[in-house]
Amino acid sequence: MAVCFIDPKNAVEFKDILNADKEFKIAARYMTKDVCIEAGDTKCIVKFRDGVVTQIKSENAFADPWDFAIRGSIDSWEKFLQPIPPRFYDGIFGGMLRGNFRMEGDTVAALSHLWAVTRMLDIFREQQNK
Amino acid sequence: MVKVDPVVGKYIHLTVQGIEYRVFYEESGQGIPMICMHSGGGDGMEWRALLNDPEIISKYHLIAPNLPYHGKSLPPESVEWWKQEYRLTRNFFIEFNLALSQALGLERPVYIGCYVGGHMALDLALEYPDDFRAVIAVGVAQRRGPATLDTFYHPSVSNHYRMVNGMYFSAPTNPQEYRREVSWCSMQCAAPTTKGDLYYYFVDHDLSGKTQLIDTMSCAVYMLTGDYDPTTTVEASLELAAQIKGSKFTEMKGMSHAGMAENPPVFKKYLMPILNEIAEKSKSN
Repeated sequence: MAVCFIDPKNAVEFKDILNADKEFKIAARYMTKDVCIEAGDTKCIVKFRDGVVTQIKSENAFADPWDFAIRGSIDSWEKFLQPIPPRFYDGIFGGMLRGNFRMEGDTVAALSHLWAVTRMLDIFREQQNK
Repeated sequence: MVKVDPVVGKYIHLTVQGIEYRVFYEESGQGIPMICMHSGGGDGMEWRALLNDPEIISKYHLIAPNLPYHGKSLPPESVEWWKQEYRLTRNFFIEFNLALSQALGLERPVYIGCYVGGHMALDLALEYPDDFRAVIAVGVAQRRGPATLDTFYHPSVSNHYRMVNGMYFSAPTNPQEYRREVSWCSMQCAAPTTKGDLYYYFVDHDLSGKTQLIDTMSCAVYMLTGDYDPTTTVEASLELAAQIKGSKFTEMKGMSHAGMAENPPVFKKYLMPILNEIAEKSKSN
């Protein structure tokens, strides 16, 4: 199973889906951050400007700066993206408590914007299982 | 026809550790008294489904207080609380529960608590087995160990953090409306309370070396933990249950951190056998 949000073919479509989502629009208000989502050796950077996702970049992103990162193995993300994830893979925060995901960088900003991040990841799960 | 809940809210003045608190509580039902204690940074509204359940309140008199500083239980007038950081200690928490039970004239009530409240259930069973006929501890472990609590009360961390924790500490199999209610409830309390309550949860609660002292013949001990709970795993609760002779543990399938609120019908399925057993024992005593 591929991790859908890493695939550059999905970048523009996923950006538009995020920005059109009613809950995401409320959750992401005022957010101007670059968020790195890392799956094993691959990653994408989701760029937020004033509450809008302006780019999801997964190609040539190795040197792009980011404010905070959510990191997990490919296996962890594959479990997370299942329609009904197994226990300890169903949420980022709970998953971190059990060692399945890691948060790095400006963690205070990450926690403050956790609603936007978690809604974004839930939308990725919806897209993964379309 | 107008629909009215059978739940009544009241205020009672309790003196705990020399300070008078005006404490809000909700109650409903009649029969065996049962104090329903909320989780950290929560309040009594977490128990609304139980307080409205006709089968339960036909046998049980439920009392769901808000701890001081939580919900409608305002900070005490006699304390300059703004000059000190709010912190829930084990001793205060125990004395609060004893004062509440005594002031309401409850006769050896059952004590059910969720997380912070659940940990208190076992501390009460350990310290005051003659004052409680049974405790039901939801999501408990022997001890929590150190944790970073600062982000729970940080000027740069928004209330969304607590809301999201509420949402994602409920299992993904549960109805969206209940999961969202848990997240809404998680946002209600004043910002300092979650961090302050978790001091008891992570630091002050520690049953290490004491579990064998819990006398389940005097105070029956029941434990319920959800299989999805990332904070207290089923394995941690099982380990604790194995140390408390006579205790009874039940794993709640498809449940996480806030069973009574995240899916009340499923929670009731696990709770009713316990309540029926307590009611039977109470008849014979």
